[in-house]
Amino acid sequence: MMNELALGFSVAALAKGVIITLVVTLASSLVAIVLGLIVGLIRISLLWPLRWFGVAYIEFFRGTSMLVQVYWWFFVLPIFGVALSPWTVAIFGIGMNVSGYGAELVRAAIQGVDRGQYEASIALNLPRLTAMRRIFLPQAIRAMLPAWGNLLIDLLKSTSLIFFITITELTTASKLAADATGNYLLFFAVALFGYYVIARALITPLVRWLERRFSRGFVREAQA
Amino acid sequence: MSETIVGLENLTKRCSVLEELKLGIARTEKVMSEPMVRFENVAKRYGTLSVLDELNLDIARNEKVCIIGPSGSGKTTVLRMLMTLERINEGVIWVDGEPLTHMRKNGQMVPANERHLRRVRGKIGMVFQHFNLFPHMTALQNCVEAPISVLGLSRQEAETRAAELLDMVGLSDKKNHFPIQLSGGQKQRVAIARALAMRPKVMLFDEVTSALDPELVGEVLNVIRKLGTEHDLTMLMVTHQMAFAKEFSDRVCFFYGGKIAEQGPPDQLFGDPQHERTRQFLSAVLEAR
Repeated sequence: MMNELALGFSVAALAKGVIITLVVTLASSLVAIVLGLIVGLIRISLLWPLRWFGVAYIEFFRGTSMLVQVYWWFFVLPIFGVALSPWTVAIFGIGMNVSGYGAELVRAAIQGVDRGQYEASIALNLPRLTAMRRIFLPQAIRAMLPAWGNLLIDLLKSTSLIFFITITELTTASKLAADATGNYLLFFAVALFGYYVIARALITPLVRWLERRFSRGFVREAQA
Repeated sequence: MSETIVGLENLTKRCSVLEELKLGIARTEKVMSEPMVRFENVAKRYGTLSVLDELNLDIARNEKVCIIGPSGSGKTTVLRMLMTLERINEGVIWVDGEPLTHMRKNGQMVPANERHLRRVRGKIGMVFQHFNLFPHMTALQNCVEAPISVLGLSRQEAETRAAELLDMVGLSDKKNHFPIQLSGGQKQRVAIARALAMRPKVMLFDEVTSALDPELVGEVLNVIRKLGTEHDLTMLMVTHQMAFAKEFSDRVCFFYGGKIAEQGPPDQLFGDPQHERTRQFLSAVLEAR
């Protein structure tokens, strides 16, 4: 009887943990994508102060530990009078860290666009920003999507770190459930497959869909 | 008496109108007689390697000039400098009577800023060896992108014009195809239509048939031939198609070692080359055919 009750509570807590992991993954992915795109573009700006800022941003967020960064936002910033909620820290702490890697993907993909495309844009007198938006970015996005897929799967798995700032996400919930019921095999198996299923059912199809969308004209396909 | 005065006034008025007309004609004549493109003592270096050395070349309005020469002779660099894809190290390039690479500031010539470059560059169009079509856009989209965002045409206007141009290059049935669905010759014809959509006064062709299968060369050359006869375009073309250069151009320039070694009407240059290196080059090229 006692055992069943514990099991019931544990399953409910686990379901909540899954939802929290999903929400944090989604929100911090958005932060990572938006900031990664902005910083990646800034990183190759013609203006050196912007470029310099981009380099500093990437070096900081990519070069130091994600957990230590999260600790800074959560435990150190309050010393300076800035108290952030665990949710804000989770979403922006993870998102900004990953955006450092993302910015490098953006930079590399844009610089990897064929030189002929730049030359054609100059020959057609396209303004730099228009050329970036209409010509280079669509081609760069297609090239960087597989790498972003990897990065977002990695981000998903990094969300377990927010246990350290008091949020009970999937890994924590599994551990608590396992502790409460003594069934370590079951609950850690659930956690193991839980991440896999989220990655496989959400991130991979999303990236595949985007890849198809941005591949118009790159792959020979039947005439519509 | 007053009638006489009115008559005189009318006469002087007419005279001044005539004067203005004369001035206008003189201005037009001056514009017509000044070259469309002028390279004035232009030099291009990569580090210590000198690619072009004191280039002086005038190209008249509507003149068709072919540039031939061995690889590494600087012939493609001439086009790339004119398209502002390469900075020049010395000299000035003029287009349509105004400096392209420089601008006047307080009575002095200073290197052109981006705004000046963009304005003067608008008179020039270029077709590349490797097409450089935008792969994510259809043939039609390739041809309307710049007219809309640079010339400010409405989408409808731009599409009508683009459709006309695609029709002119014989591709009206391919306008909704992506570049990957087109043959090399078709791609190059789209590239020509795309360049023309910007209404350039000068068209540059950089070895536009070199990347094509031999049987597709003709369709592209036919389009260029048609352009030359039906449009008021100054054309500058780097090519290895000697027969086409001979038939099409008003003048052929033979580049060697970063200089124009010899230039002249095609009959003279192909028929009676003066320079030893020209003779060698031509016999080697013609032998290979």
